[in-house]
Amino acid sequence: MNVRSQVAMVFHLDKCIGCHTCSIACKNIWTDRPGTEYMWWNNVETKPGTGFPTQWEDQEKYSGGWEVRDGKLQLKSTSKEKTVFNIFHNPHMPTMDDYYEPWTYDYQHLFDAPEGPDQPTARPISMVTGELIQIQAGPNWDDDLGGSPVYAQNDPNLKGLTPDQQQQLFAVERLVFFYFPRICNHCLNPACVAACPSGALYKRGEDGIVLVDQNRCRGWRACVAACPYKKMFYNWNTGKSEKCILCFPRLETGQAPACFHSCVGRIRYLGNVLYDASRIEEVAKLPDEQLVEGHRSLILDPHDPEVIYEARKNGIHDSVIETAQRSPVYQFVKVWKIALPPHIEYRTMPMLFYVPPMAPVMANRDAGAVNGVSGDLFHDIEQSRVPMKFLANLFGAGHEAKVRYALRKQKAVRWYRRALTVGDVEMSVAERMLREADSSPEEAEAIYRLTSLCTFEDRFVIPPMHREEAIQMLEDPLAHKQSVGFGFTTGPRRGM
Amino acid sequence: MARRKRRGSLFLGRKKISRPLCVITYVLLAAGAGRAQEAADFFRQNCVSCHTVGGGRLTGPDLKNVTARKDREWLIEFLQSPQAMMDKGDPYALKLQQEARGVVMPTISGMSKERAQALLAMLDAESKLPKSQFAGMQISDRPFTAYDVAQGAAIFRGDRGLANGGPACLSCHTVKSVSEFGGGRLGPDLTRVYERLQGRKNMAAWLFAPATPTMSSVFRQHALKPEEILPLVAFFEDAARRGGQDESAARLNFFLLGLGGAILGLVAMDAAWKRRFRNVRRALVESARRRER
Repeated sequence: MNVRSQVAMVFHLDKCIGCHTCSIACKNIWTDRPGTEYMWWNNVETKPGTGFPTQWEDQEKYSGGWEVRDGKLQLKSTSKEKTVFNIFHNPHMPTMDDYYEPWTYDYQHLFDAPEGPDQPTARPISMVTGELIQIQAGPNWDDDLGGSPVYAQNDPNLKGLTPDQQQQLFAVERLVFFYFPRICNHCLNPACVAACPSGALYKRGEDGIVLVDQNRCRGWRACVAACPYKKMFYNWNTGKSEKCILCFPRLETGQAPACFHSCVGRIRYLGNVLYDASRIEEVAKLPDEQLVEGHRSLILDPHDPEVIYEARKNGIHDSVIETAQRSPVYQFVKVWKIALPPHIEYRTMPMLFYVPPMAPVMANRDAGAVNGVSGDLFHDIEQSRVPMKFLANLFGAGHEAKVRYALRKQKAVRWYRRALTVGDVEMSVAERMLREADSSPEEAEAIYRLTSLCTFEDRFVIPPMHREEAIQMLEDPLAHKQSVGFGFTTGPRRGM
Repeated sequence: MARRKRRGSLFLGRKKISRPLCVITYVLLAAGAGRAQEAADFFRQNCVSCHTVGGGRLTGPDLKNVTARKDREWLIEFLQSPQAMMDKGDPYALKLQQEARGVVMPTISGMSKERAQALLAMLDAESKLPKSQFAGMQISDRPFTAYDVAQGAAIFRGDRGLANGGPACLSCHTVKSVSEFGGGRLGPDLTRVYERLQGRKNMAAWLFAPATPTMSSVFRQHALKPEEILPLVAFFEDAARRGGQDESAARLNFFLLGLGGAILGLVAMDAAWKRRFRNVRRALVESARRRER
């Protein structure tokens, strides 16, 4: 056993309202520098939809993540041999069109426009060429199912849905969608770190945050191709790659990351977990249907005396073990098992987990007539508007069992709370449902409290970073904001 | 005469004349002999590709007894700048040009009045000899055999090294029949050089002492041997007879070959990297538009 600590996250999708406040908070702090205009370290996608960059989940095209080849875990995008041939031209790079051409507006035109019959408008200007452009796409172009025939219908997660299920989704096409906020998953087995020819990427030992050393990065962009979540970005101005840093300067001072802090729906939870680093490879090689359970098994019980003993042996501070015991992430992922990793089939072992959305049926359409079904708010989860297979493609490597388990437990909690507070449901029925969903009234109460009544301190259990024990003290990034990027007294530059 | 006189004085010097005088005489003698030798060298380097002394006409006329045919003053002036004489419309000069089928004698660098005089003196002396050293390459008149041509090709390609260590022709020149990809393109194409130089005699003379600045500087120290010249002439004669396509057709072929090769290369690369990443979003938009239509 090789016990380490990792700052892990849970996003509760049933609470996300898709307001993009998190994206804006992140943008304002980190990616408002030249060269980062197109980056969205945090973005919110609509599902079904193709996301940012377009169809990033289609690894046939983007070749991100890992695959098991000849019994070995290997990167899809590159290898030692391929690196030699592709070092000057990486064939799997997203194009600017797949992200979007960043733009601003010519606000001055509002003041300078000559007098005319119409109100002047602020015309869009490309932030790449500086010329007036016709906007073709944006980072959330398919927001709220915008442009469905192009985007939503080409969601890679629709693969494997039966024609019936497809029809079910498309029949209510304009009625069902949910939001899928994404940041870097700070994976246990990061493909970006493995792909870097310069060794510039690393996973921070004390909290598992994956970072790019801006002094060592040579801009080969192998990480951009290797990351299956496409959360590595290339800064054209500095010639280096950049990524979400999980606001480590904020974490180190006990604050939640900006996107977590600003979340309006309070969907985000953060806390550290203890995991067994010696079993990562073994788990990452499991067949698809065992991946979710295998991934979960990596996370160790922080109350187990043996785990505590091994953690102390590895230099993990007692205060960090203590926060791991209070971690909301441990509750969601390991105890209640209702939070699931996104696209675990990429085998990077992401440490950001999602509570899948219930999306109850509010109305359905039958032969052109729309029928309200609010009377049956707590329908069988199999009738959920989002087909189970679709959610399984997102959160269960295509296998429905784990997703069904999570949804059933959530539904049982709702029935239980309904019985308690409204009383139009028999408590005996609710308790039976809880039993069927492998739960108990006590657990239901705990889930309810952490979902609905959670305070700031409940959601963010930030481990003390003990920077005094870390090898390297970084500069205060806020002191250099907008001048040098982050963390260094001189800005990253192109070239050696 | 002069030489014998000097020799005599040297003889006397041993007996009677003082030592300093003897040294001066020796130096004068050496200088005289040296001047004659220098003129001969100059002639060999600059003139023998077009002229002989008693060997018959090449591109230029045979120079045996040239001083008897025309007065010295005229010859010296002509030697210094032949083109100027033509431009002046000198009738004899124009006649010479006509005889040389339009070829104008090039202006030789370093042709001073003194050097012209020395050359004429040297030519006088050579004309009196029964066989001048500049009688020209005596290349046999026998018909060329296939063996000669093969040997010539081997020399041209450099398969057979040149005896005096000169570089192979192929390194700068090409001949249509030599190989599919031709030879060097630094120097001129030699496919029709045999016709250009009008026959084996001129060709042999030219090869014996190449006159152009580049060739002469390369081959001055590494002259071709007569037994190498004959096969080479045979090879050039054969090449000229075979001819081959003219320059513009060859250029077009080269261009088409390059274009075809490039297209083939692109197709091969497209096949090799078939699974490379292509634009995703635009393809979706376009296919949706197609479906609408």
